[in-house]
Amino acid sequence: MPNIREVARRAGVSVATVSRVLNHPERVSPKTKEHIDRIMKELDFSPNVFARSLNLKRSHTVGLVIPDIVNPQYMEIARGVEQVAHEKGYNLLLCNTEKSRSKEQDYIRMLIDKKIDGIILAFTLLQEEDFEEIRRKKIPLVLFGQNILNENINSVYSDFREGAYLAVSHLISLGFRRIAYIGGDGDHLENRDKTLGYTEALLSEGIAVSKELMVEGADDVDSGYLAALKLLKLSPLPDAVFAANDLMAMGAVDALKAEGLRIPHDISVIGYDNIRMASLLEPKLTTVSWPVYKMGLISARILIEEVESDEENPPAQNIYLRPRLKIRKSCGHETRVSEIFDQPT
Amino acid sequence: MDLSCELMGIKLKNPLIISSGPLTRSGEMMIKALDAGASAVVTETILNEIRPNVRPRLTGHDGALQNIRLYSEYSLEEWKRQIGMVKEHGGVVIANILAHSPSEMAFLGRTVERYGADALELGISSPHGEGLSVLGCDPPNLYETVRKVVEAVNIPVMVKLSPNVNNLAALAKAAEDAGADGISAINTIRSILGVDINSMSPFLPTYGGYSGDPIRPIGLGAVATICQTVNLSVSGIGGISRFNHLLEYIMLGASTCQLQSALIFKGLGVIGEILEDLRGWMESKGYNSLDEVRGKALNRLKSFDEIILEPKVAMMAKNCPRPGCSLCETACIFGAVEKGRDGKVQVDTDKCTGCGLCLSVCPETCFTLEWKR
Repeated sequence: MPNIREVARRAGVSVATVSRVLNHPERVSPKTKEHIDRIMKELDFSPNVFARSLNLKRSHTVGLVIPDIVNPQYMEIARGVEQVAHEKGYNLLLCNTEKSRSKEQDYIRMLIDKKIDGIILAFTLLQEEDFEEIRRKKIPLVLFGQNILNENINSVYSDFREGAYLAVSHLISLGFRRIAYIGGDGDHLENRDKTLGYTEALLSEGIAVSKELMVEGADDVDSGYLAALKLLKLSPLPDAVFAANDLMAMGAVDALKAEGLRIPHDISVIGYDNIRMASLLEPKLTTVSWPVYKMGLISARILIEEVESDEENPPAQNIYLRPRLKIRKSCGHETRVSEIFDQPT
Repeated sequence: MDLSCELMGIKLKNPLIISSGPLTRSGEMMIKALDAGASAVVTETILNEIRPNVRPRLTGHDGALQNIRLYSEYSLEEWKRQIGMVKEHGGVVIANILAHSPSEMAFLGRTVERYGADALELGISSPHGEGLSVLGCDPPNLYETVRKVVEAVNIPVMVKLSPNVNNLAALAKAAEDAGADGISAINTIRSILGVDINSMSPFLPTYGGYSGDPIRPIGLGAVATICQTVNLSVSGIGGISRFNHLLEYIMLGASTCQLQSALIFKGLGVIGEILEDLRGWMESKGYNSLDEVRGKALNRLKSFDEIILEPKVAMMAKNCPRPGCSLCETACIFGAVEKGRDGKVQVDTDKCTGCGLCLSVCPETCFTLEWKR
């Protein structure tokens, strides 16, 4: 079996250069890398993965823990994380917690046993005490999603309270006063933040918050449908609906249309997330976008940067990304130019 | 003679920098521009995410260019190699970065600093919506962004401003207060270059950024305002294709200039031409350094109150050598210039109000403005 020395000799380069091709390909010129890759292929050389992780004290594997594998938003996180991990020569372990804290705890233990190099937790349900082992073993960690829990832990987050405030303020600026809210699963911090944003936007314009206009959904299409049916029993009807995610907004649009209401003529709907399907709906859904894919990229960059850092205790990075209105057709009275520049007129 | 100058503490061999755009999309392209004589390069806009560029995205004529979104198609990781190539070549690289929140901008800044960038240019003012509407037009937002970046990096930070705002001075001041080392201006201007009247479609499918020769007056105006507002290194951008354009920016206070559209239309050879003509002009005037002319025109800008009303009227400095030409007569909106059958031009000084337009339309410099006798 050929070893790294032989590859170096045949390629006419140093062992260090071959090692760089294996461990830090981004630091080698494409020409050199191509040349060495060819020699390795000719010699049928494959690096000894076990020896390599011993040598670098690294497994070259990072873990991504997400709450729900079927939610298209969480898949966008994975897409971003995977892209950076792959470019930097890392494998990705994907763990689906199905929104269960105990399952999340199990996964953390499993990842630690696997000598994982670093972990990204998306919308974690873990409590302060659950982080103890990660901290003791000094495993780099990035929290993804909600507002900062602890400034000393790396985080990449968007402000859902601000996003909900944007959505509801937009409805108010269009002249609506009786604005209903279909909230998400209240166990999740980001959904509680959206509820806060909703009530704050109403109060800031002197509109009373009415319990009958607030219905809790379960983050999926069906619960949005059912919540809209419930709202239709009210008299007078609400003149606009803010759904805490696009899936519920799509369910609500379906129910409202089925009951003979025209959107946005009779009632307006705004969602949250700006998933791909939101622009395929009839009418195209006005919503709030947050750069979930980009947040996946940044999370992986911060994580791997820390994995590869020689610093003993690198300072935590807290990166905040703004939610923005994505103006389309489902709220009425919207000018074409505001759709193009995503700025209310 | 010495064309060297300083940009935010970085010594440059001349004032000509390649601005951010398709010609600085890779290490190889940047090295070509440096070899053609440029003193530094600003990278194409680097983002955290790759946003595929639409097709088509460029249209142009008569020295004017409209683009819709030209951001880098390289990943952030790939820029490590691209910047590294230019650094290995000994070039000065300014990384143009765009993010949508202060902490994201700081993250990008730290990352490209590690890659070897000599300075940052915050590309917050691209006219394609997001940058301009979020960060590039609101002084408190701009302040917060610049401050975060300045705290995060040890290299100089320059902020690129847009003329698509009504508070340019306030934005420049916010950047200075937040600790920026320099300002570059102007970014491209939101525009639609034209409509194809046969297909009834705009040349490009959305609003874009206007650049090239026609935007120079707007760039000069913005640079003058910025130089009268802040005490920072200013890099003038917009419609530079000849040496005198560069001098105009410098006389209005800029320390350096950036160009790109002219190079897209006419090739990198323009860099050498500008530098050679600049040397020639300075030699003919007996100047040794650009410091001798910098800001001279800026000092002559006045408010309306300060302009003293002089009883000036147009007078003929010489006889018109163009018998068939009637440019002056046509352009005189007061009917004061008349060209007789004999080809002789006469100014009725009672009708002339001293507006000065005949001086700029006459290709033979036949007119002067003098006190009415």
